[in-house]
Amino acid sequence: MNSNDKAKLQNTYDAIVIGSGISGGWAAMELCKKGLKTLLLERGRDVKHIEDYPTANLNPWDFDLGFNNTTKDIAADPIQSSAYSPADKHFYVSDAEHPYIQEKPFNWYRGYQVGGRSLTWGRQCYRLSDLDFEANAKDGVGVDWPIRYKDIAPWYSYAESHIGVSGQKENLHQLPDGEFLTPMELNCIEKHLGDSIKKDDSKRLVTIARVANLTRGWDNRGPCQNRNLCTRGCPFGGYFSSNSSTIPAAMATGNLTLRPFSIVTEILYDDQKQKAKGVRVIDTLSNEVYEFSSKIIFINASTIATTGILLNSVSSRFPNGFGNSSNQIGHNLMDHHSSAGAFGIHEDFTDQYYKGRRPSGFLIPRFRNLQDNENLGFKRGYNIQGHGERQEWMDKSGSITGFGADFKKQLTTPGPWTIWMAGWGECLPYYKNQVTLDASRKDKWGQPLLKLDFSFEDNEHKMMDDIRAVSGEMLEKAGFKNIDTFNYSRPGGSTVHEMGTARMGNDPKTSVLNKFNQMHDVKNVFITDGSSMTSSASQNPSLTYMALTARACAYAAEELKKGNL
Amino acid sequence: MNRRSYIKGILALGTLSITSFSIFKWFDLSKSVSPEILLKKQRVIAEIAEMIIPVTDTPGAKAAGVDHYVIKIVTNCMSTIQQNKFISGLNDLEQYAIDHFDKEFIQCSNADKTAVIQYFESHSGFSNRIINKINNKLFGAPFYNKMKSLTVEGYCQSQLGATQGLAYDYIPGKFEACIPIQKNQKSWATK
Repeated sequence: MNSNDKAKLQNTYDAIVIGSGISGGWAAMELCKKGLKTLLLERGRDVKHIEDYPTANLNPWDFDLGFNNTTKDIAADPIQSSAYSPADKHFYVSDAEHPYIQEKPFNWYRGYQVGGRSLTWGRQCYRLSDLDFEANAKDGVGVDWPIRYKDIAPWYSYAESHIGVSGQKENLHQLPDGEFLTPMELNCIEKHLGDSIKKDDSKRLVTIARVANLTRGWDNRGPCQNRNLCTRGCPFGGYFSSNSSTIPAAMATGNLTLRPFSIVTEILYDDQKQKAKGVRVIDTLSNEVYEFSSKIIFINASTIATTGILLNSVSSRFPNGFGNSSNQIGHNLMDHHSSAGAFGIHEDFTDQYYKGRRPSGFLIPRFRNLQDNENLGFKRGYNIQGHGERQEWMDKSGSITGFGADFKKQLTTPGPWTIWMAGWGECLPYYKNQVTLDASRKDKWGQPLLKLDFSFEDNEHKMMDDIRAVSGEMLEKAGFKNIDTFNYSRPGGSTVHEMGTARMGNDPKTSVLNKFNQMHDVKNVFITDGSSMTSSASQNPSLTYMALTARACAYAAEELKKGNL
Repeated sequence: MNRRSYIKGILALGTLSITSFSIFKWFDLSKSVSPEILLKKQRVIAEIAEMIIPVTDTPGAKAAGVDHYVIKIVTNCMSTIQQNKFISGLNDLEQYAIDHFDKEFIQCSNADKTAVIQYFESHSGFSNRIINKINNKLFGAPFYNKMKSLTVEGYCQSQLGATQGLAYDYIPGKFEACIPIQKNQKSWATK
């Protein structure tokens, strides 16, 4: 501890939640609803629903440079600028201001603000199944999940019922149905692909994406207006975010204190009580250091940042990082790969079009390794996500030759139908894929930089080859032409599904959290963001974080009441 | 990058430097471009844009203010090398007009302008796709190709282009997945 930081105990709460993104917002809401006085700490600025969405209602011509980033922005933010445009840049950090070390290339996309990345997320909501929860135990990979589908199923329902998920029931074992609002609709080419795929292999199907976009009014929000401008923040509340839903709900209880501009640097340990006593915070406006104490702490800073906080919290009890007697914290970093797939053009249906911009695509649920031993050369599987559309000016401008009136006519009329699709694939937990701290390099608040050392391995690469081949085949059989199968070979982090660095498990020797996301080593600390994931499955993970969070909050509140924490 | 594609890259680069870039041109490209130079070129940029997307029953590039857009993009979103390549390509185009029609491009008849643009339309880029890709990556797309894509972008995202040249649906409300196409159906301006 630094004797100069004049840290003083400012405030005491029942609960502290670190991070206000998708899982932190949920933790704050659930704990507040249970009557706990809760402090929600967010390292970035405040973003209020609707009023802080400055670009939400802008037309394309309202952007001076269209959707191009400036050379200056690209130089300052080499990673973030590959994801942002002038329309949503304000919801991303600056790489220059928030550096990290890439031992190998890793795209760490971040949004340091109230709501975090729940403002810009992809909104896909898929349940994991027992195929996923049992996989590690069956394959002898990593450690066994300490829960099964039946443990989390009611919490999936609880989360879906709150956020509002539109989707189609399909009665699949590998992708359980949820509590769905009316599904969005597949367009002509997507229906055509679905018919062709089903005819060819009855195990496969095309279903509409299950998304947290509202097809009717829900919880005083929405419905979705089909503008497809979600990442700017939605003035209609058409999709779920912490800002539009959980934080206002937490606020309404009167139990929430929201503190933006607050970087948590450490979790503080009480040796005598053998519990966490609170957190140390740097106020980024005043640069002053504060300490806050609470009975329980939820860490929801997002996988990599959560890991950083734990590793930075050293004490005589935990010299290798907070609650790290397993030495697993920081290891087993995972991210889905989504680089491989196929694209094709279809010559039919030229008399059909659509109206509106559906903010979602289609899903081909996992069909690989549903039974044991399919002998594909890789373990686990993938789901395919994609969308069909007609080519428009932005797709055609490079390929139409000529200029003048004919060129203009071709440019401004609908082109042929196309399908783009790619496999979102499971990534196995490898001990060597890890997050560490580099104390030799500090950020502007004097905190050690995070170092990311991650690569996909043979299992993932073989799976990508399969995705590429199979996607191309499915398009070919459906009569597509000019099929281009691809593997973008994007580095880790590109799917923005970082997971696994403080995993759940039954055995305290090999895992960090128990079946209630409670630290094995420190009973009053819970971690319910992506870092808790024991395996990645292939489903987009946010819904699982929300369900795990709600479940852990119920448990924590109960234990607190019983005097066990 | 694996070893094979690395070697391929080197070979392609070698070919490229012989065919398109002398060492002197390279030096030329690394000096920064002053904004005044671009503003002086605004009229010719507007003229070229209008040749690419002319006024028809809907407004053309000039009315949509594409020249302003192009200048803003070149100034803010291009590296020094790309800016220089753009300007030098523009100079080439103007020089071509003088050499062949004895007039500044903007003074040329519509037929002569068409001939100039046609020349650059058919002579921009290498026939080899991989060399094209590497060339574009290192030096930016050839002037004419860049000018054409910026014209398209500037036009289709302008108010006149989006709302009159194309069909702009500000707040769709409902999504209709499959509907019969209308006579003279225009593309949606945004996705």
